[in-house]
Amino acid sequence: MFRSSKLYRFQYRYAPYVFVSPFIITFLVFGLYPLVKSLVLSTYITNGPKSRIFVGLDNFRFMITDPDFRKAAWNTSVFAFFSVFLQLPLSLGLALLLNRKLLKARNVFRFTFFSPHLVGQVFVGVLFALIFAPRFGLLNIALHALAKFPNDTRWLQTPSLIMPALVVTSLWMYVGFNMIYFLAALQAVDQELYEAATVDGANAFQQFLHVTLPGIRPVAVFVVVLSTIGSFQLFELPYLMLGNGPGPDNAGLTVVMYLYQTGFDSGDLGYASVVGWSLALGVLLLSIAQMRLTGTWKKED
Amino acid sequence: MWRDQDLNIGPLSVFESQPQRPAVLSSRLCIWTVLIKQVGMEDHFPFGKAPFIILVLTLVSGGWLLVNPVEKKESTLQFWTFARTHAMAYKQAVPSFEKKHPGVTVDVQLVHGTAVTSRLRAAFWADLDVPDLVEVEIGSAGTFFRGPHEEIGFVDLTPLLEKTGLIDRIVKSRFAPYTSKGRIYGLPHDVHPVMLAYRRDLFEKHGIDVSELTTWDKFVEAGRKVTALGERYMIQLSDASAAYMETFLFQRGGGYFDQDGKLIIDNEIAIETVKWYIPLVAGPKRISSDPGWGQPFAQAFEDGYILSAICPDWRSKSIEKDIARLSGKMALMKLPAFEPGGRRTSTWGGTMVGITKHCKDKELAFKLARHLYLDTEELAKNFREINILPPLKDAWQHEAFNEPREYWSGQPLGKLYTELAPSVPAQYTHPYIQLAKSKLGGVVSTCAAYYRRNGDEGFDAFVRRRLKEAAREIRKFSNRNPF
Repeated sequence: MFRSSKLYRFQYRYAPYVFVSPFIITFLVFGLYPLVKSLVLSTYITNGPKSRIFVGLDNFRFMITDPDFRKAAWNTSVFAFFSVFLQLPLSLGLALLLNRKLLKARNVFRFTFFSPHLVGQVFVGVLFALIFAPRFGLLNIALHALAKFPNDTRWLQTPSLIMPALVVTSLWMYVGFNMIYFLAALQAVDQELYEAATVDGANAFQQFLHVTLPGIRPVAVFVVVLSTIGSFQLFELPYLMLGNGPGPDNAGLTVVMYLYQTGFDSGDLGYASVVGWSLALGVLLLSIAQMRLTGTWKKED
Repeated sequence: MWRDQDLNIGPLSVFESQPQRPAVLSSRLCIWTVLIKQVGMEDHFPFGKAPFIILVLTLVSGGWLLVNPVEKKESTLQFWTFARTHAMAYKQAVPSFEKKHPGVTVDVQLVHGTAVTSRLRAAFWADLDVPDLVEVEIGSAGTFFRGPHEEIGFVDLTPLLEKTGLIDRIVKSRFAPYTSKGRIYGLPHDVHPVMLAYRRDLFEKHGIDVSELTTWDKFVEAGRKVTALGERYMIQLSDASAAYMETFLFQRGGGYFDQDGKLIIDNEIAIETVKWYIPLVAGPKRISSDPGWGQPFAQAFEDGYILSAICPDWRSKSIEKDIARLSGKMALMKLPAFEPGGRRTSTWGGTMVGITKHCKDKELAFKLARHLYLDTEELAKNFREINILPPLKDAWQHEAFNEPREYWSGQPLGKLYTELAPSVPAQYTHPYIQLAKSKLGGVVSTCAAYYRRNGDEGFDAFVRRRLKEAAREIRKFSNRNPF
């Protein structure tokens, strides 16, 4: 009787829409509308949201010849390259170490390596700004004591040293985080495969190459894509470590920081939209390329 | 009505599927368990204890916030400042203003500098609530003047300044940073003449007589004798930004833009200044280092790692507070001149107060600005507190500006700065001032790197090329701006 009532039928029919509506509404208001709006804005020069002048594709043309954008794109790519190619082997190495059954206090190590990620970028930015400080920073004191390195090296004021400092900071923050993914993947690899490989006479390196790596490939691809996207979104670390700016000679300028500067400091929301779209397209193309190269879309045997 | 059997997924309650546990098992959850049982929720809440507790906490805290909302301060005028020292001084000055104007209340709020700029700009754009009066730092003031006059969020103060005669009573050069297209949008808070703060005891120990350091050539010569690389430097300067170099640029009559808004960072003055500055901060004959700000700077001064520093009036108070132990060992001297008889000061920093167009009672807001900025007694009190020289010339006659200061080896700090105030150079603003500062910083940094590698060889050509490149990039942005 209850199921045949009008109210029940109404609920049965419309309940799914009600359930998905929070996401749909949020996505439409905060996702799709800003996307469409920024696409429209990219064809204008603006002074805040009130005044704008239509310029067609001129913002895109300007961006191609803009040395600051080129610098930001270069810096971000260098950071992404080193972050991904240093971070991931280190994460995997740590995961392999922590996956060894003989290792004592595994959980302590696991927590220790993961904990930098818990404190957040703001904390890490402030902390590392102090570590890299001249004369009294931990790094300079250590290098001076160990190798008589000049203790007034200004890591965050010397353009050529800024990027290494940022990469080291991001390693400290993310190596442990990615290690957790690899550790989970390693624990899911079928142990029988190792036993079979041992019987077949495979040494440790061959086992790693032919059993471990294929076994963790889906997770590895996921981590590579995630790290690359994360690296291209770099903003807080350089902004905090370099004193609310890009540092000397724009050595720490990233694409997102440049977007922020053009949009919110200069008020040109149109040009900022173009910078934003170029970043989104760049990351999309890179992710597709990564997935093709790693064979993510190939059918499994 | 929602029933478990309708969903056909078996018993949902965790209590149904688990055996009864002793109440002492989890002492922290005990009280909640009792509560759940008391209200009979055990049978009616199917998702378990933890979600129930979260739900209860959410409802309780939400309900508490609902009945105890954060009180909105009702005040006649709201005033934002980004400087703690200013906020402290204004909070002391406000009661006398409120006494003079019965029924008027003023709310002085301290807001972080970056937040003042970004929130204010966003609020102007979006027509959101903005305070009645805002203090804006000189470096970002120009960015508010982009666009047509109707869209600038600040009131044009020119008529009020002319009507009250204040325009002639205030140091004229201090209006420059807050003027755009002939309209004055801010009342200057300060003059900020620049002197050199130095370790008197160490200068004496090394036999340096400051009365002889009348030109930069003499200063550099003395600096080269006393500097020991890695141990001791004559002065604090930076090879990574334009913050210090612009002081010298202003002293020589240069700058970023001229009064007509024309970019001048690639003129001969700028070229000569960069060529003069870089060997002081880079290469084997450098006489400077930059230990940074805050504690590292204080420690460097205290250790004798740096012997002197560029010191506008506002910085003299920071030094007093941060390096209190050097009381009596510090002194101030005029900047050496670039040529005999030349200008002995420059300028660094500045603040304006602007009245927003959103303000309902602009006359009253202007009265408050005058009270805080132009009342002689208040200014004297403020000067004793924060060492900042006000731009109102009449006020300098007050005894507060003549008092000897123990920290500065008994020197009359106010008198020293007021003597220099009339020759403080103007610094003109522009909507692209921040871009220009960033580009000049880049020039300093790359020229320093070049000088370290190549010394004087090809240095002149390199400096010229970098300054031209920087200027071209700024013009490219500036010429694109149709507003």
